[in-house]
Amino acid sequence: MRLIVARCEVTYTGRLYAHLPESTRLLMIKNDGSVLVHADAGGYKPLNWMTPPTVFEDEGDILVVRKRAGKTEDRLEIKLLEVLSDVEHDMGEAAGLEKDGVERDLQEALAAAPETLGEPLRLDRREWPTDVGPVDLMCRDEDDGWVAVEIKRVGTIDAVEQLTRYLDFIRLDPAKAECRGILAAQQFKPQAITLAESRGIACAVVDLAVLRGEREPELTLFS
Amino acid sequence: MIDTDITLGGALKVSVSKSALAEHLALVSRGVSSRTAVLVLGGIQLRATGETLSLAATDMELSLRSSVGANVQNEGEVVVPGRLLNDVVRSLPDADVVLEHLSGEAVLSITSGSASYRIHTYAAEDFPRLPDIDTVGFHDLEADALIETVNRVGRSASRDESRPVLTGVLVRFEPGKLVMAATDSYRLAVKETPLTGAVPELEAIIPARALQELARMAGDSSTVQLGVHENHVVFGAGSGWLTTRRIDGQFPNYRQLLPEQFEHELALPREEVLGVVRRVSVMAQRNSPLRLRFAEGELTISAQTQDVGEARESLPAPYTGEPLEIGFNADFLRDGLESIEGDALRFKLISPLRPAVLQGPAQDYTYLIMPIRLAG
Repeated sequence: MRLIVARCEVTYTGRLYAHLPESTRLLMIKNDGSVLVHADAGGYKPLNWMTPPTVFEDEGDILVVRKRAGKTEDRLEIKLLEVLSDVEHDMGEAAGLEKDGVERDLQEALAAAPETLGEPLRLDRREWPTDVGPVDLMCRDEDDGWVAVEIKRVGTIDAVEQLTRYLDFIRLDPAKAECRGILAAQQFKPQAITLAESRGIACAVVDLAVLRGEREPELTLFS
Repeated sequence: MIDTDITLGGALKVSVSKSALAEHLALVSRGVSSRTAVLVLGGIQLRATGETLSLAATDMELSLRSSVGANVQNEGEVVVPGRLLNDVVRSLPDADVVLEHLSGEAVLSITSGSASYRIHTYAAEDFPRLPDIDTVGFHDLEADALIETVNRVGRSASRDESRPVLTGVLVRFEPGKLVMAATDSYRLAVKETPLTGAVPELEAIIPARALQELARMAGDSSTVQLGVHENHVVFGAGSGWLTTRRIDGQFPNYRQLLPEQFEHELALPREEVLGVVRRVSVMAQRNSPLRLRFAEGELTISAQTQDVGEARESLPAPYTGEPLEIGFNADFLRDGLESIEGDALRFKLISPLRPAVLQGPAQDYTYLIMPIRLAG
């Protein structure tokens, strides 16, 4: 990743013409060929940018970024008038965005307090393996019955289908033929509740902030 | 799922007054589904028979029907995109409108004076069969009493579709009275309305949206007809008919929720309290609570939203004892104050974490509201 802070002029030609007059800007030249021109205002969005694949030419006081766009060529020409900083960093291998952070945190919190699912459950194991993937929590109820718990940020029809598949496999074991299912989520789609009820799967609304003790539960007239 | 009906075979052709058609379309089009998953539910069914043009729309939860006198040249049936038809007819000049279904092209031709439109139609056979109201026995109810009850109770119903029972209003007829109750689990409104004459045998959870639509439809009527058809409840007012499905499930036992004893019962001027609540609520943003501090002879209402600002206003109150501070959702408290009749408000309190009750001078209406925990 090369970061240049410079007083510069930027001209874009291609599907249209755009010119940024002389000003101080941050130029981000990524290893994947992306080039972004940022000002110190205007939010997260660059003033101008080129997406890969691009051809990058450094001619000293002029940087040229070119890209084929159908029969024409997009061209970003950056005229460097004064370079204030020009540094390069090796960023290493990119780590993917962890989109399932909430689900993981919910699993941790519910594993520590499975009784918050609305009945006196105790945890048997996290990530209980089945042939079609691990179910998030396997618990036991008051009567020692098995209860499989799948945890989602949003309870959807797909989540009900997923838990149904797990239950089908779990119930193949005669000792767990009566295994019940609970789908836990921060919020539910109405269709998911209908489908879950039709399959005998319970739905439990959970609130991560409340589970963590960061916030008191809302006062309600009834649950 | 409702079955489809047998359709009329001919190509509809009618002439009808623009103003009458526009009026009835405005009524019926409120039943058009806003969801586009099932295309035909976005349509209005036009059905010409005898000397009548019947209009109907449904979103499968409620249906609205009306009929208007027309010069029917050809009996028939067609389903037309509802909002588009409504917009077109509303914009036509004041003259008779001729509607002609060109079935070969699946088009409805609309002409009025020199204006002409062609609207592509939906398949009439896909339109759901609506409950047959001809076989339903009806009771006449006083429209004012019904509308007033709906308007005061309906706002406490939930909009969260994941708990369908709470999106409805419990409607129960008892000898000489109508009882309605609605709750979203944060507040509960219960109204008992005296009725004269025979009352129907009915206890049902009816979608709040359908009742609010009925209140709008029955605004100019003196009576509302009510009938029950299998799992549907049918209301008639003026020339309109509203059918709604009943919501299955167990409504919360609301009587158990009503506290029997209170620590404080205050008589307050409702209009003045409502005015203060409205003004101070401006600063109760982003779920910030409205703080009510009761102290010797005074009620202070305040609100604060971080990075926005704060507001505070006091008014005299006949309060005695240790100061008590309690928080409420500003919208819910305002709803409750608005739903009380007259200026004599009775505000009943137990403690900062127990529900409070708002009542008017009459015992026929109760608004129970759960507080919000106050930080600090």
